[in-house]
Amino acid sequence: MAALSGVPWIRPLRRLLSHLNGSGRQAGGCRRVSVNIPSCGAQQLRKLSGGPGGEAGVASPWRLFGALCLQRLPVIAQKPSAIEEQFAQLTRQMDLENSLFSDHELRLQEEAERMRRKKDDYDSDEEDSAGQDIITAEDLEDSWEQRFKKVQPSLVFKETSELNLGSADRCLADSLLLLARQRVVDQDLWLLPQMQWQAGETLRHTAERALASLPGSGFKATFLGNVPCGVYKYKFPENVRTESCVGAKVFFFKALLSTHSDSPPQDSLMWLRKDELQSYLRPAYLEKVNRFVLNF
Amino acid sequence: MNHLFTKLLISFSQQTCRKGFLFGAVVSKQHPLLGSLLPSDGREYKSMPTHGIGRYSHLIPRNTFTPWKVKKRRRKSLKMKPIDEGTETEYGLLNLTISGYDMNLISRYAQYAHHLCNRLRVHVCRSYALPTKTTEILVTKDHSTKMVVDAVLKTHFRVIQIKGLSATICPVFFEVLLKNQPEGVDLLVKEHTEADFRARFKSRPEMEELLAKLNG
Repeated sequence: MAALSGVPWIRPLRRLLSHLNGSGRQAGGCRRVSVNIPSCGAQQLRKLSGGPGGEAGVASPWRLFGALCLQRLPVIAQKPSAIEEQFAQLTRQMDLENSLFSDHELRLQEEAERMRRKKDDYDSDEEDSAGQDIITAEDLEDSWEQRFKKVQPSLVFKETSELNLGSADRCLADSLLLLARQRVVDQDLWLLPQMQWQAGETLRHTAERALASLPGSGFKATFLGNVPCGVYKYKFPENVRTESCVGAKVFFFKALLSTHSDSPPQDSLMWLRKDELQSYLRPAYLEKVNRFVLNF
Repeated sequence: MNHLFTKLLISFSQQTCRKGFLFGAVVSKQHPLLGSLLPSDGREYKSMPTHGIGRYSHLIPRNTFTPWKVKKRRRKSLKMKPIDEGTETEYGLLNLTISGYDMNLISRYAQYAHHLCNRLRVHVCRSYALPTKTTEILVTKDHSTKMVVDAVLKTHFRVIQIKGLSATICPVFFEVLLKNQPEGVDLLVKEHTEADFRARFKSRPEMEELLAKLNG
């Protein structure tokens, strides 16, 4: 299971007891991600974001918002395409044909020979105990089979149906983006969760507040840095526009989902793949979002 | 007379070599009579049968006495370069440690990460492998107290050291790395410390004994 851990783990040459009959644990449908890179530049951003509204006498006509681009990374590898499958099969066959027999396989063949000779010539005592082992290679293979049947995988992934847009467990092989339905001025829109910036905080802090304000508890996310990854600027319609607020600028911050939310899927949240975004986002907004949502 | 003849032939063949392409004819660099005694005009490619024909320094054993100087490989300095702390917009020295059980997968992913750094113009200081850690799994047999070796697992490590990662490219860089992380591979990002540097060296017990004797 791939994970990004903050604490360096070391595996010394030590003895472990492995329980073959372990119970299957059901894992949450997302990776454990914790990034331990030091947060630098926080002070710098403070200066930048404090600039517009902080200086006396010069107020910017733009309202600032911090938005959250929360992604759930793919949990399992994607299925190979038809060509990849064919090529893999071809290389596997070539490797098999070019390979030599291993010790175990040679032993199997020798013992099969010996058995055949014994059957044909029952009375011969020549090779009685020359090189015979009590446990034959076939017996070993049988015992291995038995042990393999007892093994249960400890990580079981449950994938919900693709149509259930509210669940974060859909499409385990793709990365999903979180959309929230929020009220902007007078209409309900689907957009990346955002919060208005307040004086004295960094924009990343605003994005963290947006994360905390999401309905449904238990979204733990790791922010990938203190720098916004995109910006969307829009002007208010004519009737709302005044001297002091012409429009709004939304700064997007990237974060990766680290733990699963235990609450049931909410109505106002959706997990979408990049290609499904266009049916829910406004065109101008979508154009800016598409620039920083990577899809590979 | 023979010497003069040789010289003339050499000059003739060199001329034909240069003009060979003009006439469109393939002129072999080796004269049929003189063979390999001719000095070649340019370097020969590796697939040429006579490639490296004049090499001999690899045949001389290293520790024989030679009156002239022999190039000795310098022992790499054990002093550590001062670790870069990083500015407000750039990180200092970061270590990306890629670890896992499958060596093929680990080395391919490390290669991928290195190429990604090159592509995004992130400066890679060092790219090295740490020694493999072996874990033995012992199982108690049924109805007995004896422990039997069940399996041996080897964990491989690859480290890529990055310098001066800009804060603007940092989210993009890590997102790409994480999205393309294969199953069974762990990625760890840490700042470089002196302990990390020292961990790569073998311990020298005699040296430590002598130091202890000196100090004690």
